[in-house]
Formats: sequence, structure tokens, C-alpha cells
Amino acid sequence: MGGLLVWLVSFFFLIALLIIIVFQLMCLADLEFDYINPYDSSKRINRVILPEFITQGVLCAFFLLTGHWFMSLLCGPYLYYNVRQYTRKQHLVDVTEIFNMLDKEKKRRLFKLFYLVFLLFLCIFWMILTALEDHE
Amino acid sequence: MGTRNPEMTPFSSSGPLVGSYDESSPPPSIPLPQSTSIPPRFPAPPQSASQFPQQQFPTIPQQQFPSIPPPQFPQQQFPTIPHQQVPHQQVPHQQVPHQQFPHQPFPAMPNQPAPYAPPLQGQPYAPPLQGQPYAPPPLQRQPYAPPPFQGQPSGPPLAANIQALMEDFSSLSVGSIPGSIEPGVDLKALPRPLDADIHPKSLSDMYPMNCNPRYLRLTTTGIPSSQSLVSRWHLPLGAVVCPLAQVPDGEEVPIINFASTGIIRCRRCRTYVNPYVTFTDAGRKWRCNMCSLLNDVPGDYFAHLDATGRRIDLDQRPELTQGSVEFVAPTEYMVRPPMPPLYFFLIDVSVSAVRSGMIEVVAKTIRSCLDKLPGFPRTQIGFATFDSTIHFYNLKSSLTQPQMMVVSDLDDIFVPLPDDLLVNLSESRNVVETFLDSLPSMFQDNVNVESALGPALKAALMLMSQLGGKLLIFQNTLPSFGVGRLKLRGDDPRVYGTDKEHMLRIPEDPLYKQMAAEFTKFQIGVDVYAFSDKYTDIASLGTLAKYTGGQVYYYPGFQSAIHGEKLKHELARDLTRETAWESVMRVRCGKGVRFSSYHGNFMLRSTDLLALPAVDCDKAFAMQLSLEDTLLTTQTVYFQVALLYTASCGERRIRVHTAAAPVVTDLAEMYRQADTGAIVSLLSRLAIEKTLSSKLEDARNSLQLRITKALKEYRNLYSVQHRLGGRIIYPESLKFLLLYGLSLYKSTPLRGGYPDVALDERCAAGFTMMTLSVEKLLKLLYPSLIWVDEHLLKTTDHEDIESLKRLPLAASSLDSRGLYIYDDGFRIVVWFGRVLAPDIAMNLLGPECAAELSKVSLGKRDNEMSRKMIKIVEKLRESEPSYYKLCHLVRQGEQPREGFLLLMNLVEDPMGGTNGYVDWVLQVHRQVQQNP
Repeated sequence: MGGLLVWLVSFFFLIALLIIIVFQLMCLADLEFDYINPYDSSKRINRVILPEFITQGVLCAFFLLTGHWFMSLLCGPYLYYNVRQYTRKQHLVDVTEIFNMLDKEKKRRLFKLFYLVFLLFLCIFWMILTALEDHE
Repeated sequence: MGTRNPEMTPFSSSGPLVGSYDESSPPPSIPLPQSTSIPPRFPAPPQSASQFPQQQFPTIPQQQFPSIPPPQFPQQQFPTIPHQQVPHQQVPHQQVPHQQFPHQPFPAMPNQPAPYAPPLQGQPYAPPLQGQPYAPPPLQRQPYAPPPFQGQPSGPPLAANIQALMEDFSSLSVGSIPGSIEPGVDLKALPRPLDADIHPKSLSDMYPMNCNPRYLRLTTTGIPSSQSLVSRWHLPLGAVVCPLAQVPDGEEVPIINFASTGIIRCRRCRTYVNPYVTFTDAGRKWRCNMCSLLNDVPGDYFAHLDATGRRIDLDQRPELTQGSVEFVAPTEYMVRPPMPPLYFFLIDVSVSAVRSGMIEVVAKTIRSCLDKLPGFPRTQIGFATFDSTIHFYNLKSSLTQPQMMVVSDLDDIFVPLPDDLLVNLSESRNVVETFLDSLPSMFQDNVNVESALGPALKAALMLMSQLGGKLLIFQNTLPSFGVGRLKLRGDDPRVYGTDKEHMLRIPEDPLYKQMAAEFTKFQIGVDVYAFSDKYTDIASLGTLAKYTGGQVYYYPGFQSAIHGEKLKHELARDLTRETAWESVMRVRCGKGVRFSSYHGNFMLRSTDLLALPAVDCDKAFAMQLSLEDTLLTTQTVYFQVALLYTASCGERRIRVHTAAAPVVTDLAEMYRQADTGAIVSLLSRLAIEKTLSSKLEDARNSLQLRITKALKEYRNLYSVQHRLGGRIIYPESLKFLLLYGLSLYKSTPLRGGYPDVALDERCAAGFTMMTLSVEKLLKLLYPSLIWVDEHLLKTTDHEDIESLKRLPLAASSLDSRGLYIYDDGFRIVVWFGRVLAPDIAMNLLGPECAAELSKVSLGKRDNEMSRKMIKIVEKLRESEPSYYKLCHLVRQGEQPREGFLLLMNLVEDPMGGTNGYVDWVLQVHRQVQQNP
């Protein structure tokens, strides 16, 4: 039963991360279509960036602690990227240059999105597998 | 050295040699006239131009030696081209049916609805109107008239015909120079922009209703029709816009008030009504030229059409005949009542500021400008000073003396009496004057070394956020106190050449970017004046100006005795020039193209909207174009610059510039219509931006690569048809590109590495170059060097400054017996030759002439020569009033001053490991020839 719980928790973690990324992408898209000004957009995005990083770090640690080293390894690159951005102080979007960076920022987040979706599928797969095993 | 006659100086010619001495290349490398199959081996200087084989390249600047009477042109033979005999006297080219030109570039478009009538009989389109201000003079029907070069018979019929017949590219031979063994390019033959910058005329001939090129210049006036053409163009494709460029006297932009009608704009794309819209349906509808939507004509704006489809009231509608107009904007264009002009001064009063005398100059200048501040009687003004505390001044009109309030808690800034710190100038005039009079003495004994710029900025933001306006910061030391304190950096040479190098050129503390963003949000424009001789981190401070449409003024090692005059003039200009407040700018363009990136001092408010809290005539913006689809189907692309702003008088206005440019399908055409000035402007902005994200070397290399690629592409166009051998070929329109590229390569923001330019200076120059208009940038890149001692000795005094010829920027132009003036638009250097006639120096400098020239100034003395000299200097200053040209005197051999004042800026000379002009040309040429 414990195995299933682990997958369930990580599933929600991933969902949370996905929501954050989609939110950021929405802000960027709104900005591109001029529904929102750069000040509000960057403020909204910057507000959720640290939560995103922390959630992701916690998820990675959670996998490691529960012994799912493979999943933890898969989370590694993402975590490394985040840490690197943070230490270079490039993690926040820059309101003055946001339009020049728009494409790059969007690409980054899209990449993250696909990555997370991939993780989510794995997670669901393990979850179902564990559930079936438990059932038997 | 030693050539005393400037007319005979070989350098004054930009290329009599072109194409003639190429002995290494096979004979028919370019179709040469038969008569000159034997190239002259040792051409005597006074050889007349017509004897040169390149006579058939009339686009090449041919300097005719003024001392020689113009030669009679013999009948020319053109062996390779069918129309062999072109009797030049008999054929006024206006009458040559233009269809015969093999390179008729833009066939007339009979179906095109735009009011551009196909020119008949070579006459340019001129609407049948009386009093149309922009009607062009009946120019020659010559689509690609080369800029009229000095000395060239500007458009003799012969030249026009041949030009149309010929492939117009220019070439330079890279064989051995006659009389010398070393292979190389003849230095004398290299093109130089020794005349003032001339923008291509062809566009305004084709589209006479376009706005003046001073407002909008395209890098090429032939817009590529397909993505593949764009990718083969290699140079930047875009425009340089200077929306408020200074107009010469008597040439005003008409102001139009639609009043009840409302401003006529396209329903869909929001384009403003302009000369290129067409009226149909008996005048009830108009078709937008950008998106071709049919719009209704409002009742009040209706006018009947005449038989040719023109509105009968055209002569009363400047917006339908002129490319530049200004609309008075109704209330829909305001989010709040138009703001009054507002100036807030933030002055550093720490000990170094006091010592340099900056405070006194600033106070005096502001006081003298009080009458001339724009927007009387609504103008608002306020002051704050700061060291480790911030001092506010209550300037309420009821007071007799200003009250000073000191805020020392910098962690939690609050503004005392927020209502009385910013006051109406006309009401509080006396208090303001009293304050400015006492300001220098107030801090005379200040020994505070700290400078709390960050907190002071926050206070200024709080004060100004209600109204917006202009914030002028006078900073004398590195901000050292409170938030936004900065560290000393950039004194480690080891950082250069590593990946961290660019970090030195971007703001260290994110606070400055955030503050800049906030300032723009509240319509505050920031101008930064920096004075220190020590490191002040211009990279960080300049960010404030960069994102608020402001400007950086940098006076390294300011001393009021030396730089006072410069500061005074530049501050006065900053305060009194016509300024557009709380403005936004958008550049619209026709279907299929769009502007993809913008370069300059502004902040983007949305993808294509530039926020400019305060903008004036000295600011230019560059932008790059991209094609949206793979193919452009239209024949013409239209551009419209719209600047919505509040004039100082309190009126909301929209300045609209409209221009049309033809779409071309041929790469050669694009190159032929290139505008070097605009290209160089964009290249420089791109290169400077690149230095903010990578190494200096990378920025320089990418610049060189771009030029090389462009020339290579151009060469490939012709290398199939012609055997080019070892020639360098380039389009006539880009003949200065190599030289300007070299100057850019050596310009202050890009030059060398750690030891070459101080970091602050580099950053300041970068910020300045990002705002310069095309003309000023070209002047800065290739300054003028003029030879004056002969002029001074002449007795005639009606001779004016225009007669002084510019010399090539090389040490070989300098003669130790001469007196030369170097002028780059920012300063003047007067160079005294070592063996200059002593009476000249005596007359100009008086008895001090033997002293060290760094301590001597060029004052007025009571003799003819001195008066003449002063007159020249004044003229040079008047011709470009944006910056005050401080006069530096230097004597030949006076090191190191001579080095950094003059010698380092002689771009054609090799110096410190960089190429000279000849080597640069050869290097690029080698790269061009390399495969692939």
C-alpha cells in the first residue's frame, strides 16, 4: 500500500508543477497577444518561479528518499538546470527585456512541460503497476 | 607627408585608379573600353578622368582635380554592350524612353491603385496640384542616381546612359601597385566618405510623398520579396527611425486638427490616413494602403473626386500629400490629462562633487535655463540632493527661502511634504532662484564621501510617480550607500577574454533594471550625468537611461574649469530642446512584413509598442524587419511611424511619418539600393548589444563576418558573368561599408580589450551610440579632419568653412608644417604640427604657445587669424548642436595626449594590433574569396 501512496503523492507533485508551468506559459502568451502588460506578466511569473523550483526539488528528494532512484535520476537534469539558473540569478524573468526573451522563455517552459508530461506518464504507469501488484 | 597642396593630395580623390591597374587579372575581367587596353603604368596625377578606362563606370566616385579643366569626353566604345555609341551631348537622358534601360528596376505598375503614376517620358510623378509642398523637382529619370559626389560631373547625360546600361558595381583591384613591389590595394583608390553623409535619393524620387529620410531610413529601399532573398542579404534588414528629428528652419511639420471628425484611421489595422490611401466610390470610401481594407469616409471628411480619381480638396489636406504630419489627438488618446513638463534634479553633493565644481556649473546652468524651459506656465520643477542622506527642498511659492529637509533613514524612505517638493516654476520662481543661487555654497564644506543613489532614486520615484517627467541625475561617485550600492569592478585584466567578460558591461545590481522599469511605468525619463575620474559603474547607471528613453552624459575627470562649458551647453540643450512627454511609438508596416526586434533606448510595452517617457530630436531608434510569409505578393511595402505624445504646450499629438518602398525580386537590386548609413547604424547597435552578452572579440568577429558574407554574396552574383580575378567588388551603394565597418571595429565600445579603453568610457560610448541618429553616428565613426593653416593665412574672409576639404583619417594626411582640426561631433582636437610656422601658433595662443598645450585654451585674441580660427570652431559647433565640442589642443609628438586624443582615432592607420584600412580591405577580400 505504501508504494501506491508514494506514486500518488508524486503524481500530485507533478500535477502541481504542470499547473505552475502552464500558468507561466499562459502569462507569456497573454503578453504576446497584448492582453496584459509586461509589468503584471513578469510579476505573476516571478511569483511562482521559486515555488516551482522548490516543488521540483522536493519531488526529486522525495523520489530519492523513497528509493525510486531511477525516477530521481530522471528528475536530476531538471533540478540541475533550475539550480544553475538560480545561482546565475537568471531564474526570474526580466521585465525590461521580456519581449526580446519571449521566444526563449516560452521554449524553455514548453520543454519543461513536455518533460513533466513524460514524468507524469511514467508516474502513472508505475502507479497502475503498483496498484495491480497490490491487488494481486 | 609633405604634400602641401590639398587639391593635389592624392587622398582627395576617392578612386581614379579603380579598375585600371589590374595587371594580374585577365584582360576582359570587366568590360573595358578598347581605347584603353594599355593601362597607364605610371599615371601622372593630373591625368584627366576621361582617360581612365573606368570611364564607363560612372557610378564610381571620380574626383576631378579642380585645377584641371573638365576634359572633353571622347565618344566611347562599349565592346560588350549593343548600344555602342552614345553621343553624350545630344542625348538628354530625360528623353530616353526608360524602357530601354536593361536595368529598369521597377517596371511601372499599371494596375497599381496607389497614386503613383507610372512616369512617362522619364518624368517623375508629380500630382497636378498647385502648391504641393513635397512636389519633387523634375529630376532626371534615373532610378539609381548615385549620390552626387564632389567633383564628379553630377549626371552628365553620358554618365546617365552608361550607368543604366552597365552592371553597376564597383571594384577595386588587388594587384600590385604600379611602382611598388608589395602586393596590395592602392591606398589612394580606396573609397572614403569625405563628403557629408548622403542618403540615397532614389526612393524619394520614386515616392515623392515619402517622409524625409531624416525621419526614417531603410537599410535597403528594395524590400526583398522572399525569405530566400532575406537570407542572402546578410546585412541587417530594417530601419532607423528618428521621429522628432530636427527640421531646418522654414520646414515645419504641418499640424492637423480633425476636431469633430476624429482622426481618420483604418478600422482594421489602425493605420493613420496618409498620402498613399486611395479614395474610391466617388469619394465615399477609402482603401487602406497597408491592409487594403475599404473604409468609410466620415461625412465631415467627404470630398468629391475629380476625373482622375483625386480628391478635389487635396491641396487643403496636407495629410494626403505629405509624408510627415502631426495630428492633434482628441481625448480618446489620453489616459489622463496631458502632463505638464516636469524636471526633477537629483544631485550628488558628496565631497568629490563639491571639489570638481560640478554643483556650481549645474546650478548656474539650470538657473540660466529657467526662462527657456518648455511649457511655460505649466512647467514643474523640483530638486533633491544626496550624500549619505537625502535632502529635499520645500520650494512652496509662499516661502521666501527654500526649506531643506533631511531624510537619513534610508532603509525606509519617506518623502516629507510630498506636495511642496515639486512646484510650479512660474509660481515659485523666486524660491527656485534663491535655492539655485545658494546651492553651491550650501555644500561647500561637505566632507561626506558616501553617495546614496539607490535610496535617492526611490525617493524620486515616489515624488514623480504622480505626474511623470524627466529626472536628471548628477552622479559623481560610485553609489556606495543604501540599496543599489555598487562594487568596484573591471580592474581585473584577467576577466577579459573569458566568459565572464560581458558581466562587466551589464548592470551588477538588478535594482537598476527594476527602477528603470518602474520609471518607465510612471512616465519618467532619466538622463544620467556622470563625472567621476574613478570607476562609477556606468554600466549600471546607464541602464536607468536605457530603459527610459534617456541618455548618458559622461565627463570623465570633470573639472569645472575645463569641462564646465561642455556641461553647460549639453545640460542647457537637454533642458531647453523640444521634448515629447509620455509618448509611445509604434511602427506599422504593410502585410507580409513585420518588425521583429528593436534597438535603442526605450522599453517595450508590448511586442511592437515602444514606451518613451521623454523623447526628443536627438534620439533615434533602430529596428529589424522580418518577412512573415515566404513570399511577398505586393509591389510596394508601406511603413508608418506613429509617435503619440504630449507636447510641452499640453496638447496631445500624434506625429505620423509614412514611407513607401518597392518590393524587389532580385538580390542585386537590394544591394544596389542599400543605404550604408542605416546599415552601419543597425550594425553598430547590434554589435554593442552583442558586447552585453559575449566577449568584445566575438562582437567584433560577428561584425566582420556579416560584412564578409554580404560582400561574398554580392561577388557571387557577378563572378559567373564576369571574370573578376583578384578584384574586390562591392555595390556602389555600399562602397563605404568596409571603411565604416573598420571604424566600428575600432570604435570605443568595441575596441581592443582591457588596456585600450576604460570600462566606464566603453559603456558610456555604447549607451551614446545606441541613441545617435545616422548622420551623427557616421560622423563619430569617420570624423572629419581638416587642414586649416592655409585657410587662416588667406586674407579673404568671405571664404566659408564648407570650402575646407576633409582629409583621409590617416597619419599620412598630417603634415608637421600644418595645423589641423579633428572633429568627431563630440569634441574638436586642434593638432599643431611640430614645425608649424611660429607666427600662427603665436597668433592663436598668444605668448602661452610654448607652454604645454593641455593647459592652454583657444581663446579669442585680437588678430585676424585668431578670429578666423574661432569662427571655424564656432561654425563646427553650430553645425551639430546636440553635443558641445570641447576644444582640445595638442602638439605633434606630445605623448601620451596626442595618442589618445588623435592618433588612436585615425582609423585608417594600423594601431595596436588592429588593421589599417588597406590591410583590412585585403583581409576581408581574402575571406570573401575563400570557399565556401
